[in-house]
Amino acid sequence: MTIERDTIVRDLINIVGSQRVIIDGQVLKERSHDRFRKFESICGVYTRPIPAAVVMLETVQQVSDVLKYLNQHGITCIPRTGGSATEGGLETIVENTVVLDGSRMDKIIRIDPYNMLATAQCGVNLEVLENKLRSQGYTTGHSPQSKPLACMGGLVATRSIGQFSTLYGGIEDLVVGLEAVFPNGEITRIKNVPRRACGPDIRHVIIGNEGALCYITEVTVKMFKYEPENNGFNAFTLDHMKTGFEILREVMTSGYRPSIARLYDAGDGAQHGFNQFAEGKCVLIFMSEGPVHIARATRTGIAEIVARYQECMPIDNKIIETWFANLNWGPEKIALEREFIRKNLNMGFTTEVSGNWSCIHTIYENVMKQIPEKFPHAGDLTLFGGHSSHSYQTGTNMYFVYDYNIVNCRPEEEINKYHIPINALIVEETLKAGGSMVHHHGIGKYRTPWTREEHGSAYYILESLKKVFDPNGIMNTGTIFPFEK
Amino acid sequence: MKVAVCFKIIADLNMPLDRDWNVVDQGPVDLSFVRQVFNCFDESSLEMGLKLQAQSEAVTDKIELTALTIDDQRADLFLKHLYALAYDHAVRIQPDDPMDLVFHPLWVSAVLSAYIADIGRQQLVILGMQGGEGNNGQTGYLVAERLGWPCIRNVMDIALKGPENGLTVTSMTDRGTMMQTIDLPAVLITGNSPQSPFLRVPTLKQKVKASTRQITALGQKELGVKDKGMIRKDKAPAGLYRPESSRKVVFIEGKTAEDKARTLYEQSLKDRLNQ
Repeated sequence: MTIERDTIVRDLINIVGSQRVIIDGQVLKERSHDRFRKFESICGVYTRPIPAAVVMLETVQQVSDVLKYLNQHGITCIPRTGGSATEGGLETIVENTVVLDGSRMDKIIRIDPYNMLATAQCGVNLEVLENKLRSQGYTTGHSPQSKPLACMGGLVATRSIGQFSTLYGGIEDLVVGLEAVFPNGEITRIKNVPRRACGPDIRHVIIGNEGALCYITEVTVKMFKYEPENNGFNAFTLDHMKTGFEILREVMTSGYRPSIARLYDAGDGAQHGFNQFAEGKCVLIFMSEGPVHIARATRTGIAEIVARYQECMPIDNKIIETWFANLNWGPEKIALEREFIRKNLNMGFTTEVSGNWSCIHTIYENVMKQIPEKFPHAGDLTLFGGHSSHSYQTGTNMYFVYDYNIVNCRPEEEINKYHIPINALIVEETLKAGGSMVHHHGIGKYRTPWTREEHGSAYYILESLKKVFDPNGIMNTGTIFPFEK
Repeated sequence: MKVAVCFKIIADLNMPLDRDWNVVDQGPVDLSFVRQVFNCFDESSLEMGLKLQAQSEAVTDKIELTALTIDDQRADLFLKHLYALAYDHAVRIQPDDPMDLVFHPLWVSAVLSAYIADIGRQQLVILGMQGGEGNNGQTGYLVAERLGWPCIRNVMDIALKGPENGLTVTSMTDRGTMMQTIDLPAVLITGNSPQSPFLRVPTLKQKVKASTRQITALGQKELGVKDKGMIRKDKAPAGLYRPESSRKVVFIEGKTAEDKARTLYEQSLKDRLNQ
């Protein structure tokens, strides 16, 4: 039986108190989406079902009590913390959805420098945690561009990755232990140990679940010594992306672990001003860090590898250092972006994918060829290109970027006219070449048509997780798994 | 109608780190490693020029737009960007000797007005109120003075009056917004423009098309402008200091939002609002 909106609100107030249940119309509208539909929200157009309420959760017990209630009545919920998601994972698609906001669970619980562990509640902003650690000479090693906005719960839920991932790894390499609450109200804690062989690594049921299986309430991550005085850049211009991929491969397979390994094509580089010193060129950037001897050896090793490629010319490191210091997205940049979009009707999106060394250049080339040919509104594109920014022993990612002028369409039509078809072309080309359709943003709600193809026969495992942990399908419906009415 | 929009490119001053603000050997602060951007007020001017051009296509002969700057070849990338946005002419005037022009509005205005009057033969000049680096705020007035043309400052918006050779200019004054109908020639000095805060973005196709167009590069000598008395090479920065600036945070306590709002009003706003 469908439960009425007013009843849901009344019951939630009974469970957590009226001060924690928000039903203000504007707040509800704003919580019906994330940065995927940014143009609609800039224009004040809200096309998604407006949630019944936003619940500001403050304790694990409240999370458990609320989830138990929602599960019992089959009411969809969307876990949320920093709200910086870009793939529609925070969008409401079911009437009377309840948004479970954990941003008030914002205590840094423990910093343990001896065991190098930092424990924080889900609503702790990463920048706050990172600044606290840095003041004590440590770092999380995790630094996504969304650092000023994103919180620990959301970062773990989306399998986030940071700009220094080539050294420190993605969030999945940094998480030691977790606390999460499942829809039946079960509170689970995974203990903090360096490694164990006690069955499958169950952390990975939770990491990357995008709120579709459980609610993350607490995270323990690794700490590292913070020694920025040893940081150093190697940066070069080059003519071809293929050469850049070869160099990245050689650096990684030779055993070097720079914290940053980035390769930009000319199109993407132009939006960063790289065309001011390298017009029409690709740009390759490495940063080495860590203990002084390792940082120095990494720089030397990379320089030796790059020296074998005659097309590579060095760039003044100061240019790159200054550029990199300004790369993050905080509230002020988002506000400026929104104003720019409103005035100029020009905006951009990204699609990030990954592939082994043997196919990544094919993916890059095919996408660069297919978009101008197959995307019917390619004439409206104002920027199109990409970069690789996270490399591994076995391959790397490609981060495609595309900006466009919004021409002759209403706010609610924009996403279907531009972003969704471009995104689809990139995903399909990637899967065709043998890569993965999502590198670090999560599947959200708009790459679900390809979830089955992405996982192939392993989809059985993924689907079984949903059936076991969320049998009533209340957890972030339509995320990761396609929405079936 | 021939319209010149004067602009300068400057270092993006949001980018340098605190430690980058150094004076070495009494030279200018080295910002050569910082990304260059359109000066923000000039960006508004350039956008106003394009809007005016678009209006003219509907009512009269298309406006002939010239983008004009004083710089070396680093400005060519920006001039091609303006070609892509439908500027008809892109003109760069290069000083005879490399020099720091930040604090030399007298010389800059002499060069600009020489081009506008003698070569470009423009009827309208639009330019930003000041540059982000020097903040002199003098060039626009000096250009108007040299040309002997009337000028309006703090311009927010410009529109064609109609098929005749005139404009409606909206500007910010101390008492509010003023709308004036003017005849040409004139110099318009743009301020903060809510109507045109950003320059539009060209498409990739427009950029490709513009990439082969030639920039008109002129030397200082071709304009007959000499440095004498206008460039003071004996003045150089001796040092820099950062003014102290700090904020204090006060947490307002109260049982309800109403209590907190009342406390905020009583303690922090009442006196200020009554001033």
